[in-house]
Amino acid sequence: MSELIKMKDITKVYPLGETEVPALRGVDISIKKGEFISIIGPSGSGKSTLMHIIGCLDIATSGSYFLRGKDVNKMDGNQLADIRKEFIGFIFQDFYLLPDVPAWYNVSLPMIYDRIPPKERKEKAVSILKSVGLGDRVNHLPNQLSGGERQRVATARALANEPEIIIADEPTGNLDSVRGEEILNILSDLHEKGKTIIIVSHEKYVAERGKRKIYLKDGRVEKKSKK
Amino acid sequence: MFSGFLIEILRSAIESIKANKLRALLTTLGIVIGVMTVIGVMSVISGFKQYMATSFSQLGANVLYVSKYPWGFGMSREEWKKIQKRDNIGLREAEALEEYGASFKYVSPSILRNMKMERGDKEAEEVKIEGVSEDFSRIINQDVSLGRFLSKDDIKFKRHVCVLGQDVVEVLFPEENPIGKKVKIQGRQFNVIGILEERGEMMGQSMDNTAMIPYTTMTAFTGKRSTINIAVYAEGGEETEEEIRWILRGVRDLKPDEEDDFSINSSEALISQFNQMTSTFLMISIAIAAISLVVGGIGIMNIMLVSVSERTREIGVRKAIGAKSGEILGQFLMESVVICLFGGFLGIILGASLTKLISLMSNGNVPFHIPIWSIFLGFGFCFTIGVFFGFYPARKASKLSPVEALRYE
Repeated sequence: MSELIKMKDITKVYPLGETEVPALRGVDISIKKGEFISIIGPSGSGKSTLMHIIGCLDIATSGSYFLRGKDVNKMDGNQLADIRKEFIGFIFQDFYLLPDVPAWYNVSLPMIYDRIPPKERKEKAVSILKSVGLGDRVNHLPNQLSGGERQRVATARALANEPEIIIADEPTGNLDSVRGEEILNILSDLHEKGKTIIIVSHEKYVAERGKRKIYLKDGRVEKKSKK
Repeated sequence: MFSGFLIEILRSAIESIKANKLRALLTTLGIVIGVMTVIGVMSVISGFKQYMATSFSQLGANVLYVSKYPWGFGMSREEWKKIQKRDNIGLREAEALEEYGASFKYVSPSILRNMKMERGDKEAEEVKIEGVSEDFSRIINQDVSLGRFLSKDDIKFKRHVCVLGQDVVEVLFPEENPIGKKVKIQGRQFNVIGILEERGEMMGQSMDNTAMIPYTTMTAFTGKRSTINIAVYAEGGEETEEEIRWILRGVRDLKPDEEDDFSINSSEALISQFNQMTSTFLMISIAIAAISLVVGGIGIMNIMLVSVSERTREIGVRKAIGAKSGEILGQFLMESVVICLFGGFLGIILGASLTKLISLMSNGNVPFHIPIWSIFLGFGFCFTIGVFFGFYPARKASKLSPVEALRYE
């Protein structure tokens, strides 16, 4: 299978006052279409930074990053936004739902930027919510939902534009293990259906779900063999 | 497709304003006051102008009045003193105009006194008795509705005849035809020869509480020395005015370096003087409105900055799911424009209510009239302010980096 993501010698340096703090010190990664990857590492290892760069939310300081054969480092803000819109769905630890609008509207949000007509948007949002088991929560506001339900709404939102890649940043971090398992099951399901899944986590039972694990330490990939 | 997106950001703007109703209302107050001022002032002035124009047109178009006193507003005390010292205008001037006037046909003295009229036990107080010539009816374009107007012979032989206005007829002859009957003016007997057409009101006063008699008869009441007005029907405009000036200067023996010691008045001049006055007033209120709109705009900018910082996380999420900078910019710009237009809408409603109130308080003398263009102007201002003052916060929102916006606590 073709390589979906190919990174070479990626570094990221954050300016902090007059000094510079390196977060990534030369990372090489390649991910094929349909893989289920866990990125693991202690806090401060650079996994969030790596996730942001993979997700085109941020740009590397140096190195090369090709996504579907295209050079991400050469893209401007609008092109990156288009990539995020079309190919990537994010799931965040804190859900990041808009508090004042119902579940279905939160799910339909990415479709607004994809210029999908309102009627179609709502129909599709409702059907995705059904597929994650929230068919009876369509019109609920986020604060009327439990944590697990909110994360499922957020997952549904990540699926709205039918992205190839789902990036989940500590998706179970705010959930108990039962609700966490629910989310992981959904992600496994999506993997079965051919999506590329990248989970970032420091929790072992989460990382275990990945078919391949990438260990990060001090901004570098640790060359550890399996387990 | 793009219009669909516009509707979407409009909807999101309305949602976000709804979530902070009180805040939006307070923010928009400056705009409300500004627009209310503009609408209120413009409507009142426009209504008042209409009212003045219809009122003054009662004086007759193309009619010049030669008088000792000028018509108008805003004269200083010194100017008044000087004018009071002028020689009276008398029949001598009227005769000169009649004799030498080339560009105008009709000249008539107009000698006014308020006097009592009686008939049997019926009385009409304070009737405006006007001593005029046979030309006067043509000058002010007012015919008789019954009987006839004054004739040349009436003037020549100083006859005691009169033409009555509608109001006087109603009081003295409620149920009879007055033609040929006798009335008393200040104790002297007059024959009624005609009834004037109805003229309505001017400046809230009836123009029909009047009676016209030959000016030659009128001087028996007033004496020959008191000052009179001379009405001239002047189709020739400025040329006629100039001609009148030179005839009067001649007859009053003015030296070339002396100023005119008389005034040539017209309703047109009065209206234009009035318009000049209101335009000053308009400028002042536009300045006040502009200041409150700018203050309102700064308020909008402030609240939009607050809104952007409150919703940094939301901006991050929207960007993460694919919103472009321009789309975020559009969303916040739309929000500030909607707040401003909402303020403009309130301002227009309040301004219109204010105008209605003024109209009611003036008993309808100032007609309730809101110029359409003032509404467009109001909304136009609001839109501009929304865009202008909303741009900086919206740009700030659009420039946020997605990662930093998501990390924002």
